[in-house]
Amino acid sequence: MGVRITGIGIVSAIGLSVEENLLALKESRSGIGPLTVLDVGRDLLAGQVKLCDEELGRELNIGPAGISRTSLLGLKAAREAWGSSMHSKSIRTGIISSTSVGGMDRSEVFYKEYLSQKHPDYAVLKTHDSGSTTERIAAELGISGYIDTLSTACSSGANAIMLGTRLLLQNKLDRVLVGGSDALTKFTIDGFRSLMIYDDEWCRPFDESRSGLNLGEGAAFLLLENEKSVQLSGNATLGYVSGWANAADAYHQTASSPEGTGATMAIRNAIAKSEISPDRISYVNAHGTGTKNNDLSESVALKNVFGDKIPAFSSTKAFTGHTLAAAGAIEAVFSVLSIQHNLIYPNLNYKNAIAETGLEPVTSLQTENSVHAVLSNSFGFGGNNSSLVFTDQI
Amino acid sequence: MFYISASSTISHQPAFQNAGFSGVIEPLLADSVLITPDYKGYIDAGLLRRMSKILRMSVACSKDCLNQAGIDQPDAIVVGTGLGCLQDTEKFLTNSITIEGLLPPTSFIQSTHNTMAGQISLSIGNHGYNMTHTQNTLSFENALQDAMLLLMEGQQHVLVGAADEYIEFLTQVSENLAAFDGQYLTSGASFFVISNQKTDTSAAAIKDCRSVGLVDDTEAEIISFLAENELNAADIDLILYAGYSKSNFEIFLKLGIDKSKCVDYLAYSGLYPSASAFALHIAADRIQHDKSVGNILIYNALVPHHLGLTLVQPVEA
Repeated sequence: MGVRITGIGIVSAIGLSVEENLLALKESRSGIGPLTVLDVGRDLLAGQVKLCDEELGRELNIGPAGISRTSLLGLKAAREAWGSSMHSKSIRTGIISSTSVGGMDRSEVFYKEYLSQKHPDYAVLKTHDSGSTTERIAAELGISGYIDTLSTACSSGANAIMLGTRLLLQNKLDRVLVGGSDALTKFTIDGFRSLMIYDDEWCRPFDESRSGLNLGEGAAFLLLENEKSVQLSGNATLGYVSGWANAADAYHQTASSPEGTGATMAIRNAIAKSEISPDRISYVNAHGTGTKNNDLSESVALKNVFGDKIPAFSSTKAFTGHTLAAAGAIEAVFSVLSIQHNLIYPNLNYKNAIAETGLEPVTSLQTENSVHAVLSNSFGFGGNNSSLVFTDQI
Repeated sequence: MFYISASSTISHQPAFQNAGFSGVIEPLLADSVLITPDYKGYIDAGLLRRMSKILRMSVACSKDCLNQAGIDQPDAIVVGTGLGCLQDTEKFLTNSITIEGLLPPTSFIQSTHNTMAGQISLSIGNHGYNMTHTQNTLSFENALQDAMLLLMEGQQHVLVGAADEYIEFLTQVSENLAAFDGQYLTSGASFFVISNQKTDTSAAAIKDCRSVGLVDDTEAEIISFLAENELNAADIDLILYAGYSKSNFEIFLKLGIDKSKCVDYLAYSGLYPSASAFALHIAADRIQHDKSVGNILIYNALVPHHLGLTLVQPVEA
């Protein structure tokens, strides 16, 4: 059981297209650097997309007024994934995006002016709600009908892929664009700093010395199609979504349980759904944010599921920064590329194993082994844990 | 068929633990207030202190639902919200703009849209599927469709609901955008247990639910929705509708549905993005307590370019 992936699109700190992202991954080149697009009162490192709103607007042939950066980034990735797909009355098409901040990038500028009584433009707030970011992308692509936005913090993007897969399998839709988008905002940067999990240095996922994350921004979308839709579109299959699961950790509003309860359930159930045995997983693209808590909890979960036969694993957060709701979608695109090109990506900035678990991630690009199945993890606030399995066949 | 095994609402109407409320409630007046139960009966005192309005409403309704349905753990928790946790979002945003240095994290933690679903899972120790949909006025319909998919996939009981909270800032927004004239902005939460089998507590059944974003031809959508459910417009006993435009009545008229069968649910709920969840509670309560009512259609065109359709029927049907 599973569904075809026939299109991918991505914009992140390491590139403005699938091709650019792939090149940076192959060259082990991080996109994280000094934060320049926002004034947060101190020097910080972040994964910025290297285009400002005006440049994005020009490239998309769309005015930067009346549209949030979250929508602009989302539209850029969605158009690449959509490709030259055509609309047809006989193909039921939907879109499921995800975002944690919606149009907050504009709202926070509005609200600052509002607080200082500078007669702000209230119309800006029409782009605030998360759903409006997806509606805008849908409108630009000519998609109407099933339009949805999921917002489950850092697991949102993975959940959008999961929901799209389920809707196709239950024959509610023939074709669906699934993904996520989040722009960098002062709101989220201050938020993660208030939790004292924003690292002033480069984030170091799965390293003993890790002390937090670097935020990033970006978007990614995947086009999923059923048999009927593919017959009409003629699109080639890039891979399959063949396993999925979401489970609640029910431990703490932000922290993950030390036993990795929810993560273990999500990984185990996703692999069970894919009907492949755990030893067939070629690579794990971990959530690996670089926080003390996540990486330990995720390591414990990996040990719970795989025992002492843990597959090659790495976190790509040190390339892109943590892109919140977009992360699950961005890493899904990386997973598809891993299968297509037989690549296992390095976990940048790693030196020493976490003392409690001793797990060692992949530290340099691996190209010699064929990759058939990739597990991708996305864990979020509220104990929201999701895992997906991507395969080269079903 | 998807059976409604429990329903619970906290709103400006006396609906909480008040079966039969749909027969006695009146349209809201300008001075109506949120009617809240004693939350201490539902939420641990330590947690309660830190919880915003939307969290209190959501957790209390959820616990009430589980009590009514007589189940300890639902198989999944699915929540819809149009604007999410506004109180905490506004609080953290204000702090972020006005305070230099390290900020208290609580309002950031509680600002994310999935705080309701997360807090519900935490408060009952639930490890099942946990999802949050946010699609403006169609947030509840999208959550409900996800819950229906889960039942089709073999789950037995799903806790599904929607919540939105009013903050004073919304009044300024509505005045400055000259939107929502004559509507009372309110808060509300409605939660349900829906089940794949009829149970002792089943009040009504959901036959179908659909959301159509950026809708092109509303009338055609209604006709095809009814046709797919083997119904004609004449079979509808009651339409619970939301939407200001006269075109709604033109559509009802064209379909041959008498005005006397059409009730504006926003007059009862007040205005918030996920108010169609309250309409579902009205529908379930009405069907359970008025045997003359067969098919109820919830017609959500609160924002004219988005259409939500939900068909509710008696359990026997």
